[in-house]
This record gives sequence, C-alpha cells and structure tokens, in this order.
Amino acid sequence: MQYHPQPAPGTARPWAFPAPDRGALPNGLTVLRCHRPGQQVVAVEIFLDAPLDAEPEGLDGVATIMSRALSEGTDKHTAEEFAAELERCGATLDAHADHPGVRVSLEVPASRLAKALGLVAEALRAPAFADSEIERLVSNRLDEIPHEQANPARRAAKQLSKELFPATSRMSRPRQGTEETVERIDSAAVRAFFDAHVRPSTATAVVVGDLTGIDLDALLADTLGDWSGEAAESRPVPPITADDTGRVVIVDRPGAVQTQLLIGRIGADRHDSVWPAQVLGTYCLGGTLTSRLDRVLREEKGYTYGVRAFAQVLRSSAPGSASGATGAAMLAISGSVDTESTEPALKDLWTVLRTLAAEGLTDEERETAVQNLVGVAPLKFETAASVAGTLADQVEQHLPDDYQAHLYARLAETGTVEATAAVVNAFPGDRLVTILVGDAARIEEPVRALGIGDVSVVTG
Amino acid sequence: MPMGHTATAQAGSGGLTATEHRLANGLRVVLSEDHLTPVAAVCLWYDVGSRHEVEGRTGLAHLFEHLMFQGSGQVKGNGHFELVQGAGGSLNGTTSFERTNYFETMPTHQLELALWLEADRMGSLLAALDEESMENQRDVVKNERRQRYDNVPYGTAFEKLTALAYPEGHPYHHTPIGSMADLDAATLEDARTFFRTYYAPNNAVLSVVGDIDPEQTLAWVEKYFGSIPSHDGKQPPRDGTLPEIIGEQLREEVHEEVPARALMAAYRLPHDGTRACDAADLALTVLGGGESSRLHNRLVRRDRTAVAAGFGLLRLAGAPSLGWLDVKTSGGVEVPEIEAAVDEELARFAAEGPTPEEMERAQAQLEREWLDRLGTVAGRADELCRFAVLFGDPQLALTAVRRVLDVTAEEVQAVAKAQLRPDNRAVLVYEPVESAEPADAADTDETDADDTDAHEGAGK
Repeated sequence: MQYHPQPAPGTARPWAFPAPDRGALPNGLTVLRCHRPGQQVVAVEIFLDAPLDAEPEGLDGVATIMSRALSEGTDKHTAEEFAAELERCGATLDAHADHPGVRVSLEVPASRLAKALGLVAEALRAPAFADSEIERLVSNRLDEIPHEQANPARRAAKQLSKELFPATSRMSRPRQGTEETVERIDSAAVRAFFDAHVRPSTATAVVVGDLTGIDLDALLADTLGDWSGEAAESRPVPPITADDTGRVVIVDRPGAVQTQLLIGRIGADRHDSVWPAQVLGTYCLGGTLTSRLDRVLREEKGYTYGVRAFAQVLRSSAPGSASGATGAAMLAISGSVDTESTEPALKDLWTVLRTLAAEGLTDEERETAVQNLVGVAPLKFETAASVAGTLADQVEQHLPDDYQAHLYARLAETGTVEATAAVVNAFPGDRLVTILVGDAARIEEPVRALGIGDVSVVTG
Repeated sequence: MPMGHTATAQAGSGGLTATEHRLANGLRVVLSEDHLTPVAAVCLWYDVGSRHEVEGRTGLAHLFEHLMFQGSGQVKGNGHFELVQGAGGSLNGTTSFERTNYFETMPTHQLELALWLEADRMGSLLAALDEESMENQRDVVKNERRQRYDNVPYGTAFEKLTALAYPEGHPYHHTPIGSMADLDAATLEDARTFFRTYYAPNNAVLSVVGDIDPEQTLAWVEKYFGSIPSHDGKQPPRDGTLPEIIGEQLREEVHEEVPARALMAAYRLPHDGTRACDAADLALTVLGGGESSRLHNRLVRRDRTAVAAGFGLLRLAGAPSLGWLDVKTSGGVEVPEIEAAVDEELARFAAEGPTPEEMERAQAQLEREWLDRLGTVAGRADELCRFAVLFGDPQLALTAVRRVLDVTAEEVQAVAKAQLRPDNRAVLVYEPVESAEPADAADTDETDADDTDAHEGAGK
C-alpha cells in the first residue's frame, strides 16, 4: 500500500453541553426540560428525595422495594395491567434507590410520551402497594441476594463498603438490604416510607428529547401536575466518614481462577474545587487501556483484561445548604487478575502509585487526557438518556444546572501539577483498603509479604 | 393493521438515507449524513468470525482482533488507542460468530484520522506484528475468558448450550472466545496467515455516518484505502445450514457451585434476514421479553417459582438463529416444575397465537429498540455494515423496523408452532453443589473446554 502522513485535524465545530430550562409546576414539582433535535426516544428522569439513610432502623431495603413497587399497580391498573400498558407504549421504566434518593427513569418514543408519562404520574400519585405484590417483591429480592454474593465484583463492593464506613452509617450496609432486613419489609412499611418521603415539592423531573410538536406544559399539567402532597423541606445530609487505614481483606473463594481486586477509599466530590484535577489525574492513572495501570498490568504483563481507576459520587450537598458541604466520592481501582498473578499484579500496582507520587504526570499525559475528556463530550451526550442522566445527577448532588457545561472549561484549564497533586492525594499508597475476592489458600501468604497492610480473611 | 400504531411517520428510518460506493480494490463503502451533532462514526466490518476458524484454533479470530490494536505500519505500540482517544474519540472492536468489527466515533474534525488509522492497519498490520504482542495479548485474552466466563456463576452456560445446539464439526459449535488450549496453541504464523487470508479490502465493508461531507469523505477513503491490494485467498466458511427441527431434546445437567438451580434452553429458529426470523423475534418477545410477557407473568408473578424468566433471540445469518430461554429458580423449587410450566405456556401459545394486545406490545418494544439502535451515529454505522455484509444491502437497515411491524399474528403463531417445541431444543440444567472443591473437575476438563464462546462475543 501507499503510505500517507498522519492527517492533521480540521477545524472543530463548537459544541456545548445543553442548557436546560428550569421551571416548576403548581404542585411544587421542579421540571428541567431540554429539546434535543433528532432524539426520537425521549428520556424522563425523576429524582425523589428519599435517601437510604431515611430508611427506618432494621428495614434496609425498604426504599428499594418501594421503588420496584411503583410499577406494580395503581388505583387504576393491576400490576400486570400496568406493565402491559407501559410496554404497549414501547416504554421502559426503571426505578432504583441509592444513597441520595430514588431515581425513576422512563424511556419512550416521543409520540407515546403523553400516555407513558400519564402512567408514571399514576404510579407516583396513587401506587397500590398491594400486600400480595409487596410479598412477591420481598421474596424475589431475597432470591436475588445469593446471586449477588456469588458475583465476585458485587461481593467485593459489598465488602469494601463494610470496611470503609462505620457500622452505624447506612453506607456500610448493602444498598438493597440484607436477608435479615428485607424479610421484615411489608406493605405497611413501604406505604409509610412512601408517605414520609415521596412528594412533588421535593422531587424533580427532567425531560429530554426531540420535543417538536409536543405541548410539554399541557402534557405535564395533565400528568405529573395531578400529583399532590404536602410541602416539605429537603432532608439534611449527614457527613460521611471512612476508615481508610491501609489493609487487605480477602474474601475466600476456594478454587477461583481469578482474584477480583477492589482497592478504595473516599475523597472529594464535585463541590470540591479539586474535582476537575481529580478527574484528569484519575484518568491518567486508570481511565483507559493506555493509562498507567493498564500500560503495565495489561499491555506489558498480561495479568488482566483491564484495570480501571474511578471516582463515583456517593452523595453530595451544596456548601450553602443547612448541613454544609458533606459529600464524598468513592475512589477506587477495580479489575481482576488470574490467581497466579495476584501478588505480582498488586506489587506492580503499588509501584505505579509510588512512581506517580515520586515523579508526577507528564505534560503529554495531561494533554492527551484533556483532549479525550473534553473531546468525547459530544459523543457521550448524543442520546437523550445520557443528557437526562447527567442533569438528574446534578440535581441529586445539589449542583447548578450549568455544572457540566463549565466542567469542560475547568478541565482544559487544569495543569499537570494540579492533576498530579489531586491523583496522588486521591490514591495514597498507605491509605487504601484492598479487597481481594479469591482463593485465600493461594494468595494470602504472598499478599501478606507485600507489606500493603494487615491481611485478614473472611468467608461468605 | 400492523402499521396502525407505529411510533414515527417513517417507522424508524426517521428520514435517514445511505449511499453506496465501491473502490477498485473491492472495498464497499456506505455513507450516511446527519448533521445534528458534530460527530462522525467510522465502522469497518470484516467478513470473518469464529465460524471461519478451524479445529484446534478456536478463539483465533478474537485473539487476532486484539492484535489489530498493537500497532501497524505507521502506528507504534498502542498508537491506535492513543491517537483516537487523544483526538477526543472512542474506539473498540468485537468478534462474533459471523464477523469482526472495528469502530471509532470521532468529533467531526478528526474523521480523517480515523480513516487513516483503519487503512493503515488494513494495509500494513504485519509490518508491526511481533512475538511480543502475540504473547502479551494471548495472556490478556485468557484473562478476558476467565473474567467473563470461567469466574462467574453460569458463565460458561452460553458455550455449553451452543455446543449442544450445533453438532460437533458445525462452524457454530464453538463460540468466539475459544478454548484455553487453543489460545495456548495459536502461533504468530497462524495470526499472519489469518490476516493475509481475511483482512483484505474486498472482504470488508466500511461505513461512515454523521456530520460528514460525502464527497470529501469518499475522497479520503479513496486516498487512504485505495492502494491496498485486494486478495482472493479466502475460503468460504463451512456450510452452517441444518434441518429446521433438531428432532430430539438434547440435554446436559451441570453440577456446579452456583447460587440457584437454573433452566436454560436454546431453540433452533429461522436464519436472520428472513421474515420468519422477525416473526420468531415477536414470538419470543410475547413469551419472554419484558415484564408483561407470558413467562414472566406465569413464573415470576403467579407461580412465584422463578427469580427471573425470559427469552432472547440470537440472530444468525449463516446458521439457524437461537431462541434463548433463561430461568433462575426461586428458593427450593425444582427444575421439572419450571419445565412443565414453560412447556405448557409454549403449547398454549402455539395453539392460540398472540392476542392483538400482545402483538401491539411486542411490536412497540421492538420498534423502540430499533429507534435506540439508529439513534446514535455509531449504532447506525454498525447496522449499515451488518446488512451490507450479511445480506448484501445496507439499505435494509433503514427499513428493518418496517419489516418487524409488517409481521402478522398468524406468522408469529406459525413459527412458534413449528419450532418452539420440546423436540427442537437443547436444554441445560444447573444443579448447585455445596462449595469448595477446586471448580468441579467433572465440568472443566479439557474435553469441555474445547467448545466455548461469547454472547455478542468478546470485546477488545
């Protein structure tokens, strides 16, 4: 073939993260809307201020059961009818409970938005919470728990939360409850949680998609506008504390062919001015296949299919709120390595961290990371669902609607020194809790010799 | 009227068009313009998948796909990843039974770079391919296999069922991930021969979709790909056709450390690209797609014998498609009880056919899935390649949803009656064993490890 020199880029066409219109319905529901031409599948995200720490003592999982029960029948439709009507619209509806609150996510072709939104409004206004449906959801949830225990990545995440957070904190315990707490949940508990925490005045609906020809005001008035409830203040957000004393916990899996690694602690959230630098630095450490970790662990040594470093916000509140800025993100490195390579992989991983702390990032690394993180924005936010998801994340983290739009400018302004400082602070080699789900008989002794902290072994 | 309830005027094509071109060296090119977002997708399908592999070299197509990211004539080391990501793009490759695809989504002004990169590796991969990358990626792929299949509960179900459903010696008897023994046996010379045989412009389709100038794009394609010589050494894959009905129930019982009993089955169904395959898709959706399906209502809601129950369709063009049943049992429920209920529902469906409401729901669900797939430039580029490679006409991608909406209830009933029968399936039953022997030698010996795979199979 004839070789040609690498082409130079053309002129970039400007792109900005979309700015939503913010408003409110007479019932107090906050509404964010955003017209995205060509996106025929409309995404609706509803955030309910019903956080996990509001669950009553001993009833962990009630927020999850309530979320699932929202689509299991109303005052007008039985559970089976409700599911059938939604699917007749070609819609999908998911609801899940997490630390900041409950998220209800609808996706539906634009032409059927009115009908589907009517069903969602019905679910929020008058959920049936029938005894038999709640019993079924509870027993279904109990059946799911052993499947999660058996999954190495899920099992590792559960153990890390238990290690990091004090036993009194809701964050130390599984988001969807344990066998012991879930089996106590009944329809009365679900109803009580709903009555106490779900109301339009503390909820926000985000609607994104091609809204051409849709009278959204009239549509909202006829659907979510019909939902009523007493006004209430947002709940105060308790501070998050964690014990990141460097240590290793092995969850024993005799015979496992791989070891699942999850190495973490907590750190800054999006309200902290260090966030853009932390995003950049974390990307350089483990954002992709050409980042520092995979360059060694995958592309040089072949120990793994891939290891990633990431920051995931657990819960946030605005500095100006009553409780002040109390948020945090989970900072973690995750992946799996073949059993034999567990010790050498961990050794290399710590060498990468120590080298980074000693020598810092290079300007070239920082430049590539900025180009990627800023450049991929138009592709990342091509669909309505991705835009709606980010807008709703901003709402639940008490961030302004233009946060994401400004983040790109801040990333571009962040220098190599700041990014280095942020990632070194985020992942200090002596303040990381390491969870290993693997064959203790084969990995315990070699890992102990590494000196990355005390080693203990648990089962189950 | 099947068309009476479509969600959009043009039923999914959304006014999209595509043009087709062919270079002198045989490379087929499909272009589709859409200027809503400043991004462009490049997708390249090579007409080679695991069905082309020979005995003793399972997994070679996928291992080779990894080698395509290890540098080429003018691109050093991980340059394919570094250059695309540094330009604000994203990229990957995947391998399935029937094809291998490579794709980049780029900001518009970086489109030329992606074309240059794809041409460079199509024309000059062997200049960079060496023993070191071969050894490294062999280890990476073996860890991919462990992570995705061997170290997760039920992880090898797909390869076990595939091996049952397609007879010994059939090109689809093994799955794209390949066996550990064959991955170990592959040599650098195998990889070189594989490239020389299959990676030729006349064995590929290139699509470019999004914010493009078609004339300029075609000029770039001609410039970079035009001098790559065509090559006719390819052997067609072995014939994958089989009788319409298996004629007996094939069965395997697995005793493994899994969290619950499971009933899985693969039904032999019509080839992709036929009207009967679309009818089968609708039948499986009515029976086991979503939360208003017959199996979900029966097993999860009413009998409460299952945690989850559903059907999926693995569409295949060169062999019968597979209808994929997956039921995880609840509590102490035994598999025969589930199996009897499934058979009863299938027999009832074959006798009665779908109700008009069920047809409407299933068509609405499949229509939304199509809108989702065609809603991103990358999804559209992939579908255009799929129809060009497998069925010779990319335009069929733009009308696929119309064909699904055109299917009648009678056709759905007919395919169910003919093929969703106990004597036309391979059944896999999981019985849990108590923990802790080294991974049940009976099920992981070399014989079994020879026939494996991956669902949509094996990413980069």
